[in-house]
Parts: sequence; C-alpha cells; structure tokens
Amino acid sequence: MIGNDRNAPRGGDRDRDRDRGDRDGGGRGGAGGDDEKRGGRGFGRKKVCRFCAEKNAKVDFKDQSTLKYFVTERGKIIPRRISGNCAKHQREIATAIKRARGLAMLPYNAMVG
Amino acid sequence: MAETQAAKRLREYETIFLVKPDLTDDNVDKLKERVRGIVGREGGKVLRFTVWGKKKTLYPIAKQPRAIYVHASYLGHTRLVAEVERNLRNFDEVTRFLSVKLADEVDPETRPVLEDLKLAGDVEETRPGAAPVERVVAEDLPESADEEATEEA
Repeated sequence: MIGNDRNAPRGGDRDRDRDRGDRDGGGRGGAGGDDEKRGGRGFGRKKVCRFCAEKNAKVDFKDQSTLKYFVTERGKIIPRRISGNCAKHQREIATAIKRARGLAMLPYNAMVG
Repeated sequence: MAETQAAKRLREYETIFLVKPDLTDDNVDKLKERVRGIVGREGGKVLRFTVWGKKKTLYPIAKQPRAIYVHASYLGHTRLVAEVERNLRNFDEVTRFLSVKLADEVDPETRPVLEDLKLAGDVEETRPGAAPVERVVAEDLPESADEEATEEA
C-alpha cells in the first residue's frame, strides 16, 4: 500500500511533464487525443529537422544559401516552432547565423521596401 | 620540448578575414604570406588558403560596400590563434576577422597541405561594360518582393 502511494505522485509528475512537452513541441505522438481537445492545434504533419533527416547536411556559418532559409526577410532568426529544427540543430543554426552576421554575410537588420 | 611538440596533436582552426576591397591581388597574396609566416613561426601548419574574392557585404564595413574575403584553415595551438588574431588586428588592410575551432586533436601528419584556391567572387557591377542583363534581374527581384509585401499587408 505504502509503495503504491509513493508511486502515485511520481506518475502524476510524469504526466505533467508530458503535457508541458506537448505545448512546447506542438503535437508530438502519444497524446493525439489532447490535440483534438485543444481545437485541432496539431495539423497531423510532423515537421522534420532537415539536418537530422540528411546525415550529410552540416550547419556551416559560411554557407550563406542554407542559412538564408532560417532567417526572415528582415534578417531575424526563424523560431524552431516554424522551421521544424530539432533543439540541437536550432542551437547550431543560431550560432552560425550570428557568426555570419559578424562577417556581413547575413544582415543584422535588413531594410524592407 | 621539440620532441613533445612533434608528438602532440594539434587543433584545427579556421580564420576568415575581410580585407579592404581596394587591395590588389598582389597585396592580398602578400598578406596571405604574412599570415602563413606567423603560423609557421608558432609551430602550426597551414592547410589551405582560399581567397573568396570581392564580395558584396550586407552592410557597409569600414565604409565600404564590398570586401575581399580570405579563408585560412590551419592546425595549431591556442597560442597560435591568439598570435594570428593579434597580427590581424594590427594590419590596417584587415577590417574583420573570425576564428573558429573545427576539431580537437588532429594529427598534423594525416592532414595534407592543399593548394591555395582563388574564387571569383561577385560580379562587379561598377566595371565598365558589365552585363546589363544582370542589373535588370537584380532590379526585378526586389520589386516583386515589394508587391508581395504590400499585398500581405
């Protein structure tokens, strides 16, 4: 009995953590029912990190054309929620963009219009 | 000391530096040789120099809209990078530089010294008789982008 009591709150904590993960990641597997309850927040299609999908692709601050894909027209870094990068590669991309900016290969702030 | 250094593994670094656009090819080569001398003096090994050529910068650097990019990859110790950067800071022609560590513990004998490369860089629009077609293309692009932006707004 005591053992069960101890286990119960742990399980609860785990569930809470999962909820948090869902909110951050946006519609991951395992909690599909939750997505439906929240008014169809998940669109079914899971974004895949480019760099995880392609083993050969590496983040390189010298590769202007690839980095441009992760930057808005104004030169802001696109969030991972939209670009679909995994956390590790988003971090690498962010550093690469910042390095490229220092060398004037990407803009700090591009004028629009 | 010399023996232990020979047995030691080096780190691989790359340094990119931006040079003022009005420098001639000869002067860039001279600069390259000076950097090569520093790396050699500090017990490093230059793998390759690549001159990317004159490229348009996305914001003016040293009041210039263009810059010559030079990329150097070499093996060495932290002391070497500090020394290279200290020298680059003193060169008047160098406007920006960035050094990045690429790998730890590289055996210098396994890495061959590669031939220096020279890339063409951007097409010069100021050159007399430059292709006017490219200009038209360049003008077209931002206009269409503007239209899209206004539609969205």
